Amino acid sequence: MTYKTRNMAALWCVSVRLGRVCRCSNRIIASRRNLSEHKSSDETDKEEGTEKSTHFGFESINESEKTGKVHEVFSNVASKYDVMNDAMSLGVHRLWKDRFMQVLDPLPGTRLLDVAGGTGDIAFRFINWIKEKELQQKKASPGAEFRLNPLETDDSESAPDLEFPSAEDYLYSEQREDTTGTDDRKDSKVIICDINQSMLEVGKERAKKLGLEDDVVWVTGNAEELPFPDNSVDAYTIAFGIRNVTHIEKVLCEAYRVLTPGGRFLCLEFSQVSNPLLSSVYDLYSFQVIPVLGELIASDWKSYQYLVESIRKFPNQEEFAEMIREAGFRMVSYENLTSGVAAIHSGFKI
Amino acid sequence: MAAHSRVFLPFRFAILKTPQILGVHTRFIPPQAENCSRISYNHGDRGTSNGEEWTPPLYREHQPTSLFQKALLTVGSAAVAITNPHRHDMIAVLGETTGYYALIRIRDQMKADPVGQQILSERPRINTRTIDLEELRALPEGTFGKEYVNWLDRNDVTPDSRAPVKFVDDEELAYVIRRYREIHDLFHTLLGMPTNMLGECTVKMFEAVHTGLPMCAMGAVFGPIRLSSKQRWKLRNYYFPWAVKAGYSAKCLMNVYLERRFHEPLEELKADLNIPSPPHIPKSTDNNNTRLNRR
Repeated sequence: MTYKTRNMAALWCVSVRLGRVCRCSNRIIASRRNLSEHKSSDETDKEEGTEKSTHFGFESINESEKTGKVHEVFSNVASKYDVMNDAMSLGVHRLWKDRFMQVLDPLPGTRLLDVAGGTGDIAFRFINWIKEKELQQKKASPGAEFRLNPLETDDSESAPDLEFPSAEDYLYSEQREDTTGTDDRKDSKVIICDINQSMLEVGKERAKKLGLEDDVVWVTGNAEELPFPDNSVDAYTIAFGIRNVTHIEKVLCEAYRVLTPGGRFLCLEFSQVSNPLLSSVYDLYSFQVIPVLGELIASDWKSYQYLVESIRKFPNQEEFAEMIREAGFRMVSYENLTSGVAAIHSGFKI
Repeated sequence: MAAHSRVFLPFRFAILKTPQILGVHTRFIPPQAENCSRISYNHGDRGTSNGEEWTPPLYREHQPTSLFQKALLTVGSAAVAITNPHRHDMIAVLGETTGYYALIRIRDQMKADPVGQQILSERPRINTRTIDLEELRALPEGTFGKEYVNWLDRNDVTPDSRAPVKFVDDEELAYVIRRYREIHDLFHTLLGMPTNMLGECTVKMFEAVHTGLPMCAMGAVFGPIRLSSKQRWKLRNYYFPWAVKAGYSAKCLMNVYLERRFHEPLEELKADLNIPSPPHIPKSTDNNNTRLNRR
């Protein structure tokens, strides 16, 4: 390749990336402008009488209705959510989530935002992973016994405020118990954000049982409009949540916005099985067995029918990877789990 | 596509349809789900899956199911019901999935009787909106209605707690089983049985003989597993023989417009319907119920 063509190619790549980032930021600016004018795109559509439709499983509904319907589904399933996950996947979802945490491989000092984190599976694994890492660090480095674990708070210091007043304060607060001056590392933090209060309540109960209630902050919020400032988290995870949103692109843009430069977007979601034999078995199991399990265990056929249909409606691995690239993430890759039943998509904001 | 025609599309999207009554399980789901979108969906109905024979729902809350799903539901609901008797919806599901032929028989019995025909055409419902419980409370003691509300209050139940019918694939049969479910509490009143496990087993035995529903028979046979040996003894020696006798002798209760007979004295109504009174278990049997005396 000549000097000129190489330069042209480089310019083209840069412009495409700029285009993607600009598209994302334009969307953010546009949505903020709409909000300030007290007029959302849905309302303008309604006025014109042409409301866009989207899918709810195999059903077709208006976009404005989808959030409410998904909310209703998760309010119904919240109490039996974990039991049903174990029953439907025969416990394999635990292995998926363990692998997810392995891929993320967070270091102590990571601020994690777990969106659609509901009952807290990912967040609790994150906390345990960090604690394990810190234990290893303590053992590895000399003089480690003099360093305090930032996730454990001294009783006298933490007594006055046990509650973090707001997510912003939480994210930017630095607890400097360590004054040895080795490094001014940040503390590991995890925030669970979910649109459904019932799921968060179930998660809080679980946290109490596991003794992790002080290590997590619970926030109610919509993944399409996160109540967090720009560049505030180091890692953004969303496990089995992104297929339920109305606008996947908006969620990806929001993820891009709240991540710090160098931050990682990690998504665990059901995906397409490419092997045709496995695919037939999987489809048979999904449509014949899962709604029946829903009826037997949770007395709710329809929610689990929605679940298996929404999996079919979600884009496949490559299409979703392309959507992540469109949002501005780089080094986008994916890993299939159980031959494509689930997939971990990863992207970096660099 | 007509629901009962065999349609062969190109290989990847082939959907084999057979009438569900033959019980042939339709073939595998085609890989692409989008071919399903050609069928227009109303709110709340999605069929069994994206490749199975898609029958439209026949009534509100109807959930079309394949034979495999019905089999799975039968086994699963039986297992859940026996391990957790508080799951009344599981017993309801069991009744729906196994009761097809029994319901046809009951429906034919109802069609052969003038009052039964009236019930089938009027489709009366029994819940707090259609039955005025305050009016029943005002009735004199000893009447059917007064005994019914007393029974409701004593056992802390309400006529509103019945699960909707979901898995019966015929609209009229769905009404028949709903009618059966709603007059179940009236059976309790007529037989004088409480809602504890012993009373429920007895009523199930009565219903098994009277209606022929397999779910009732299963409940009567497997329900006593959860009882103590003393209760099982009572059941075997007193309650079950009486329930069987009452089940055979009673006039077909599905053909009786029970909610119009609340004002009648209970004993007269029972005599009219040929329902004998519950057996009296002598107190001394509690002490005599030792291994030596038990048959």
